[in-house]
Amino acid sequence: MTSQERIMRAGDYVLGLMDEADRARAERDLTIDPEFREAVWSFSQRLEALDNDAPAEPVADGLWTRVAAEISGVTQQTRLELVQSDMEAAGVPVAAPDRHGALGLKRPMSGFFRGARGTALAATMLAACALGYVVGQASVTARDPDVVVVLLNEEEVPGALVEAYGDDRVRILPLTNFDVPAGKVLEVWTLYDTAVGPVSLGTMASSREAVLSGPDLPAPRPDQLYEITLEDAPRSSAGRPLGPILVKGLAVSPPR
Amino acid sequence: MDDCDSLMRRVAKGDRSALAAIFDLEAGRLIAIARRIVRRRELAEDVVQEAFVTIWRKAALFDHERGAARAWMTTIVRHRALNIIRDGGRLDFHDADQLATLGDRAADADAAYAGLPETEDLKRRLDQLEPERRRSIVMAYVVGFSHGEIAAHLGAPVGTVKAWIRRGVASLRECLS
Repeated sequence: MTSQERIMRAGDYVLGLMDEADRARAERDLTIDPEFREAVWSFSQRLEALDNDAPAEPVADGLWTRVAAEISGVTQQTRLELVQSDMEAAGVPVAAPDRHGALGLKRPMSGFFRGARGTALAATMLAACALGYVVGQASVTARDPDVVVVLLNEEEVPGALVEAYGDDRVRILPLTNFDVPAGKVLEVWTLYDTAVGPVSLGTMASSREAVLSGPDLPAPRPDQLYEITLEDAPRSSAGRPLGPILVKGLAVSPPR
Repeated sequence: MDDCDSLMRRVAKGDRSALAAIFDLEAGRLIAIARRIVRRRELAEDVVQEAFVTIWRKAALFDHERGAARAWMTTIVRHRALNIIRDGGRLDFHDADQLATLGDRAADADAAYAGLPETEDLKRRLDQLEPERRRSIVMAYVVGFSHGEIAAHLGAPVGTVKAWIRRGVASLRECLS
């Protein structure tokens, strides 16, 4: 999606000119594509002036009571659940597939997907293909990423998206709120060569979108492992992952 | 508004009183927005009721936004209202009759545009658009006209209307960025 297409879609979404299927896709993209989100909210905030003209209507006495009664039986959804349901509504199943046995990664890299590798890879490919047209073009200012990675948690649910570029930059888009206690950081790793072992790409203080300028490494390749671990601040003292793995995934080439 | 944004962050953490506070601040405005689309007051209240349930359920999505709580709520209300008029299931004959009067609805849209203060940035931007592009955008936004309804009202082919809107959105965006 070019930035021009993104603006046109944001326009159609805000103006209410999409059919239901397009709107479901747009709402998914709102969740996962920061630039589409920015286009939508900046356009809708500008148009807001047109709403100010309508004099506020009186609010019927019982209306809040009705709302309150209804929400008393409604559980709030987590961000992750919402991302999943948005994607499912857009025809992309991302729920954890049935699998036998836990990944059981108690130590970093120890499992390296092993038996579950196929399943995890399949889930990653599926999600990456679905996201590809968005993620692959999410950086309007830069060239396309060399690879995209959907990082999955232990339940194989997407927890973060990574775009890795040939110039060593890595863009991380968390899809969930990682709990980062005081004194801890999120550290992003990649394994481009098992002989070298995992290499740190940088750290993040919280679950906010971040662009890391990683060390000078060979261009990222499909099937390269990426993961995020929780480490003591300011970064893992050993230069390799010591803390628990929060999410991990294998890179794929985005569809062009 | 900051008020709404900080309240919405509390809603995302499960605070019902924050939702009640947002309701007090915003319900009247949101009913008015819905009413311009669905026309009938009871329907507009239904829309806002459903929207607040959605806001409650999905507040976690907002927490990550850049702080556009009002725009987010407006979007939910408008889309809910559009669903109602487009699927038609909740409208009776009387409503359908009302909806058919494109002229009345178009007049509301024109009035919303005319009501923009001259000092408003959006007013100046819209003024720079060719009239049919401006009217198409305003009719879609304010009263929820579809491409087909805009086409019928302005007596132009649907494809032409789509092109007007695309160009209008593009030039509004250029102006705004």
